Amino acid sequence: MTILANTWRWLINPAHWRGSDGIPVRLGEHLHLSIEAVVIGALIALPIGVILGHYGRFGNLAIGLSNLGRAIPSFGILVIAFRVLGLGDLPIVIALAALAVPPMLTNTYVAMQEVDADVRDAARGMGYRELAQLIRVELPLAVPLIMSGVRTSAVQVVATATLAALIAGGGFGRYIVDGLAQQDNAMLAAGAVLVGALALATELSLAGMERLLIPRGIRLLRAPTAQPMIAYKSA
Amino acid sequence: MVGRLFLDYVDPWINWDWLSQHVPLVLSALWDHITLTVIAVALGLVISLPVGVAAHRWRWFRLPVLAATGAFYTIPSIALFALLVPYTGLSGTSAEIPLVGYNVMILVRNVLVGLAAVPPDVRDAADGMGYRPMVRLLRIELPLALPAIFAGLRIATASTIGIITITAVIGVGGLGQLILKGLIENFNTPLVVAMVLSVALAFAADLVLAGSQRLAMPWARSR
Amino acid sequence: MTRKIGMGWLVAGFVALTMVVAACGSSSSSSTSKGTVTIGGFNFPESSILAQLYGESLAHAGYTVNYKLLLGPREIVAPALESGQIDVYPGYAATDLEYYNQGAGEASGDVTATNAKLNSHLQLLGLEALTPSAAVDQNAFAVTKDTQSKYNLTKLSDLAPIGSQLILGAGPECPTRPFCQPGLSSVYGITFKDFKALDTDGPLTRAAFKNGSIQVGLVFSSDADLTSLGLVVLQDDKHLENADNVVPIIRTSVASADVTTILNKLSAGLTTADLVTMNGQVELQHQDADAVAQTYLQAHNYFA
Repeated sequence: MTILANTWRWLINPAHWRGSDGIPVRLGEHLHLSIEAVVIGALIALPIGVILGHYGRFGNLAIGLSNLGRAIPSFGILVIAFRVLGLGDLPIVIALAALAVPPMLTNTYVAMQEVDADVRDAARGMGYRELAQLIRVELPLAVPLIMSGVRTSAVQVVATATLAALIAGGGFGRYIVDGLAQQDNAMLAAGAVLVGALALATELSLAGMERLLIPRGIRLLRAPTAQPMIAYKSA
Repeated sequence: MVGRLFLDYVDPWINWDWLSQHVPLVLSALWDHITLTVIAVALGLVISLPVGVAAHRWRWFRLPVLAATGAFYTIPSIALFALLVPYTGLSGTSAEIPLVGYNVMILVRNVLVGLAAVPPDVRDAADGMGYRPMVRLLRIELPLALPAIFAGLRIATASTIGIITITAVIGVGGLGQLILKGLIENFNTPLVVAMVLSVALAFAADLVLAGSQRLAMPWARSR
Repeated sequence: MTRKIGMGWLVAGFVALTMVVAACGSSSSSSTSKGTVTIGGFNFPESSILAQLYGESLAHAGYTVNYKLLLGPREIVAPALESGQIDVYPGYAATDLEYYNQGAGEASGDVTATNAKLNSHLQLLGLEALTPSAAVDQNAFAVTKDTQSKYNLTKLSDLAPIGSQLILGAGPECPTRPFCQPGLSSVYGITFKDFKALDTDGPLTRAAFKNGSIQVGLVFSSDADLTSLGLVVLQDDKHLENADNVVPIIRTSVASADVTTILNKLSAGLTTADLVTMNGQVELQHQDADAVAQTYLQAHNYFA
């Protein structure tokens, strides 16, 4: 198919690797937006999820709000962010962070809840005070599911960051939006391939990090998860 | 709270006059959105069921199916919509093909998980009772796989409702047309209306699916 | 068995819903309509206004009119016309000519000649350009008052020596449009420091002016809000921009004598001042494009 050939030719063209519209620059922009959004989202979602999950309170509210967050169309929230905050990275990062929170919040809450009651009892019986119990017993057990939420969120943010180009943002989305406007299908498809590759790389690297963070004892116990259930797709 | 952009004109979040004069426009956008969603999810389910069953039955089929659908999932939807335009135009078809694809992605996996979760004892019992494989599939295994399938339907529907707004860039859009109008005409109201209706639609759809799930699984009702 | 019945109803209900939705999705035109016309529009408000003006005149004359507005730049709208997804769009003579002749440079300030050349290219595609209006809207390049006083700018030639210090902002189609970045380079010799893809004379461009991320931006000569935004248009002294008169580009198969008359009548009465006024109503007073069109048509007694 010529479209594939043209896309390949676009990607290996050295001119497309130079300058302010080159692949390295756009990659940097895309990563910058995605990483900031996931980090900010995590800073909000993880503490709230951990605390609510530990005390087992307001779970339905948390999950309900998460579902509400998932239902918000990403295109719309980016446009609202532009209208409130103007141009630049800040509105994009905030919009993406808002989209990143729901999966992390839900997973973190459920992860803390899933910690076996017996384990909690045992910890208390061993004399752990509350904070120590939280940090040294519950959190490590919850890490796999929490990381899985972070991973899902990160991949979604990378894909959704393409829409930032619709409000004059940078990143690989530029190739897609500009390719559409200029009817340059090679550039468009190249943008799609680049985002797909980046999303895949994000998934694999975070999965790798997940294995490192899981306490050795748990890792030996659990069979590798095939992760058949897919999270929602926001872009 | 009001949105302000450069000029002295202060644009309220919702201009009720505009809204009352544009009910047909809003309803038409909402109806388009609903239509696109129903078609995408229904077609997705219709395709996923046989594919999922086949992948469950023939192990060699499973990995390619999972790999192919997984790869497809990482491609941003806006690119797929745009790439289809030269072939299928600025039409609902260009919107539906990727949407159905994404839903197949989600649902095939859930069909697989659901079928795999059927306890082997149940399958043995069915065989022992004389059920032929196809009948066993339809009357025992698929019904037991329903929780997973419904979970997939709920995720697929919520995703679809959100992604449809993006098709505004190829002239389709449903409620996304209102978002685009708000962006281009520097006008908050259609934007806010579209957001509120999208979320409401997603919630309504979820309720309908949750209700359907209870209807379809009467054996799970009395707990 | 309740389970079987429940499943059966569920499946039946699902199928029925899908069929209802699919059936209702197809458009139903009234039996008294003279025919259906689909009007497309570009992704800026003036195009929506023009599309509504033409559309409502046709609707008033008994046609069923469908609108496909805010589709995108000409690169998206023209193929849709060629393939029949839309029947007509409100074009601009010179820019359309340079689009359909792949940038051959045939456009001039003479609107009659430009339109004739445009038709010679359109005929091969089964399209035609109707009679151009006196109303003109062409590309214009603006700077903020600060930039103007800083470099003492009055015309576009003044940008040539300082281009490398300035950033140009326009729609993403600009780098490939003869009347945009390539034209500025070939006619004026301006090479910019960078290009920022924003929108076609929309809120993104205005926001970029405001926060200083661009110094030169593409606007339209019929914009009404430039003064209030502190923007100054630089004079096109080497005549890069040409006769961009409003002209409907239509599929010949739809261009019956009746349709042509109606559309030409509207074009004949439209002036550049009208465009500016209507743009102002949308940009400054936040009226809706269709309301603005209705007001114009009634004020000019088109429904008499």
